Amino acid sequence: MWQSLPELGTGIVYAILLAAAYTFAVALAAGRGRPRLLQAARYGAYSTSGLVLFAVLLLSYAFVSHDFRIRYVAHYSDRRMSTAYLLTALWGGQDGSLLWWSLLLSGYVAACVAWLKGRYRELQPYVIATLMVIVAFFAVIMLFAANPFETSIAGARPDGEGLNPLLQNYWMIIHPPSLYMGFVGCSVPFAFCVAALVTRRLDNEWVIAVRKWMLFAFLFLSIGNVLGMRWAYEELGWGGYWAWDPVENAACLPWFTAAAYVHSTMIQERRPMLRVWNVFLICLTFFLTIFGTFLTRAGIITSVHSFAQSSIGTYFVYFMGLILGTSLGLMVWRLPELKSKGQIEAVASREAMFVANNWALLGGMTFILVSTMYPKISELWGESATVGPPHFNRWMGPIGLVIFALMGMAPLFGWRKTSGQSIKKAFRAPLIAAGVTVALHLALGKYLGYPFLVARDAFYPGVVGVILQKVGSTLPGITIALCGFNVAVIVQEFVRGVNARRAAADKRREPESGLLSLFRLVEKNRRRYGGYIVHLGIVSMFVGFTGTAWNIDRETAMVPGDHYRIGEYDLTYEGSRRCPGNPKCSPEEQADIEKMMIFADLKVTRAGKEMGYVHPAKFIYQSSPDGPTTEVAMLTTLHEDLYTVVGQIDPQSKRATFQLHVNPLVSWIWMGLLILMSGCIVSLFPELSLAEAGAWSYLRASAGVAAGTGFAVWMAMTASTAYSHTRPPKAPPSAHLASLPPTPQLPVSGLGTAGVVGLGLGSVVAFGRRRKDDAKSPRD
Amino acid sequence: MNKRFLRMSVVRWAAPLLTLIAAITSGALFGVQLVVLTLAAAALLLIIFLLWSSVQALAGESELTFEEAFSFGARSAEEEQKRAVLRALKDLEYERSVGKISEEDYHEYAARYRAEAKRLIQNLNEHLAEQRQQVERELERRLAKASGTPAPVSAEPESTLGSARGPEETPEIEPKEPEKSQPSGLACRQCQVQNELDARFCKACGKSLLEAEESAS
Repeated sequence: MWQSLPELGTGIVYAILLAAAYTFAVALAAGRGRPRLLQAARYGAYSTSGLVLFAVLLLSYAFVSHDFRIRYVAHYSDRRMSTAYLLTALWGGQDGSLLWWSLLLSGYVAACVAWLKGRYRELQPYVIATLMVIVAFFAVIMLFAANPFETSIAGARPDGEGLNPLLQNYWMIIHPPSLYMGFVGCSVPFAFCVAALVTRRLDNEWVIAVRKWMLFAFLFLSIGNVLGMRWAYEELGWGGYWAWDPVENAACLPWFTAAAYVHSTMIQERRPMLRVWNVFLICLTFFLTIFGTFLTRAGIITSVHSFAQSSIGTYFVYFMGLILGTSLGLMVWRLPELKSKGQIEAVASREAMFVANNWALLGGMTFILVSTMYPKISELWGESATVGPPHFNRWMGPIGLVIFALMGMAPLFGWRKTSGQSIKKAFRAPLIAAGVTVALHLALGKYLGYPFLVARDAFYPGVVGVILQKVGSTLPGITIALCGFNVAVIVQEFVRGVNARRAAADKRREPESGLLSLFRLVEKNRRRYGGYIVHLGIVSMFVGFTGTAWNIDRETAMVPGDHYRIGEYDLTYEGSRRCPGNPKCSPEEQADIEKMMIFADLKVTRAGKEMGYVHPAKFIYQSSPDGPTTEVAMLTTLHEDLYTVVGQIDPQSKRATFQLHVNPLVSWIWMGLLILMSGCIVSLFPELSLAEAGAWSYLRASAGVAAGTGFAVWMAMTASTAYSHTRPPKAPPSAHLASLPPTPQLPVSGLGTAGVVGLGLGSVVAFGRRRKDDAKSPRD
Repeated sequence: MNKRFLRMSVVRWAAPLLTLIAAITSGALFGVQLVVLTLAAAALLLIIFLLWSSVQALAGESELTFEEAFSFGARSAEEEQKRAVLRALKDLEYERSVGKISEEDYHEYAARYRAEAKRLIQNLNEHLAEQRQQVERELERRLAKASGTPAPVSAEPESTLGSARGPEETPEIEPKEPEKSQPSGLACRQCQVQNELDARFCKACGKSLLEAEESAS
């Protein structure tokens, strides 16, 4: 069976299953009183990860050597594709993406085993065993339902079918891996949770062990979701970024529970409370990641993301049953030990706020879950209901605002109980800020194009509809006011911290400057202030989400020379051109052999000032001539995006139809992601000091963080070159070349992969601190 | 032991480096396909090595590594708990400094956390006492060996133990009941920072407070 590459590949998948089973058995033996076997289990886990890596490399080889005997390769690539896209095709389809998923999982396994080295000896065997079960599950699916190495019955073809043009986009290269990183990352906390339940070590031990892993997963869930929005925004061409598509919903569900856990864990670390709750949240988060994958893969609900129908759904159902059974069984078994030993003493305490916020997050999650599943649920009683975006938008607005308000209020309360006096003191400045924001918004909003009240239609008949309508029309104003409140809270927290530090320093007669104090404050309480920075990122995102209330959407048809006015923009349609062929096309466009491109050139002026050109287009790929793709063209500012899409272009008269959108404040969402990422990095930065850990560990940690930060900066920088790979630079017809600098042709996909790998490696390095870093002095 | 360690580290760094160089060279000469193949070959070698190591460990043939031996002795759970309690104390200080917790509550919780921290530190110390003695014995023996003189201490190691353990290294903390909510404390002579009444060392500069107490009394 080893005589050809496809057979070798299948053999390796068998080997993954065997190695995982072996490791599972040895790990269990190590857990049952034979501790010296742990080393064997650890090596076993490493070699399982190695085997997955080997399988991925084999498949990559099949792609770059155009081995069309393999069905997956023939289906998702062709000979014209560049190497970068050939490698993207690894996760472009069902079978390969499961292998890719396994690769990320085994990356986590290797990182976790390396990090565990000498610590948590009692938990370690069960952590490894749990992770191996998950690896084995994916190996089973690959073997029996979605083997990426399966050969075509008809034999090798001369050429493949090529990758779906929708997937040949820069954000497509990078958003699934980030999202998978987040999804897969939830396995490690789950493994620790199971280990703690099995070993009865239900103290703070596992909670502390899990903390950074969960934060890491949360970070990547956020990145993946926002990058997914960006992909939808730039590639799908309907003018928005979030359509409440079932798969989008599935991707954001674990984000809610992860966010809830990150907060409730802080309570358990301080007081013996909420233990059942935390175990429940971790299990639920992991369950939702598998459930989300199931929704995407099994195709039970139609969505833009759906892969081809296949039989893997059944396997997922069994696995979900296993997860539910195991976690519920363990929880019930250990319930006596999980019982809370403390209780919330006052409503005016941070614990109470956190619990409220947890409930709100979970409520939002449940709402999305039920609404997403409703079409399927309603089939049970023979109805076939559809649930559209308006339904989600109506309800999620208020729910989101409750979460947002609680997020602002929680930091103002102290632990256990807060006196009325200090609450008054803490709320004063933020409330004033919110009031000032409302006043400014009422006074200036109309002139800036962001009025306080936005009229809405009644969506439901009856009282509920009227209430929702009234609430809906005030939402933009309330959101902006809450943004003011939240920012004031965060600023106040920083100011109070800095003041306290400076006062203490003055007392010691070692005065500190404000900046130095700020730096040391954050450095000494990274988790807390990192968290506040994350909150700031969320505020920025909420500003962006609110922007949709003031969207302007228009449709029009124009012949060359026509003008159209939308918002403050004046658009002049100068005609269409077909590339390659038209003399006005740029050299890159002329040289493109993959596709035919039809551009519509629109000149944009705003308040009399020339802003340059936008070129919405239709691309017709040779690999799929029947389905032309819509290429969006945008003019982005911090204030708003001008978003243009061309519908049909008549080849003779050049008459074209356009969908035009002005989307205010969308950039704030992407900006919010960058702030959120930097906040997470601040929180995740390994805690060690030069003197204790030795220069080497410090260097390793810094390298890890540098890789992470580099990734963030790189993402920010390349945002503007997002089109460079699939689209030629937006060069205007020759005369205007000087007005817009051509976008540099970065090898973005290579950089993307390098960035993700770099961040992964960096974090492995950063997490893999030596033991001595942990033996820290009590004063730290 | 040292040689083996050195060899391991060389292999650990040299092997990936060689793989990388091989991959890049083959890529430059023969194209991207060979890069992937080289990497795959390296991965296969690594897998074989790892599986071999695993089977060796399973058969009980591998030597006990230092890390492994060390981790047998460590009680990570208590170590982690200690860190959590110390962190909680630090947070409490912070909350007091920004005025989020009342003075009364602060003293109550601080006392509780400090009692817990003391209990944990003491447990850890007790647990490690035996090992510490062993290490000190070994250290003395080696020091004596290194200085060339015959080792008189190795004959009766017990007698040297007391002198070897200074108060700085193993603070023997008696499990005292924590004093409740007494705002006054013990001022450090060196830096004038107020410390709790049951403190033995200053929390700011680390100077022993016991001397201060003794000389004062």
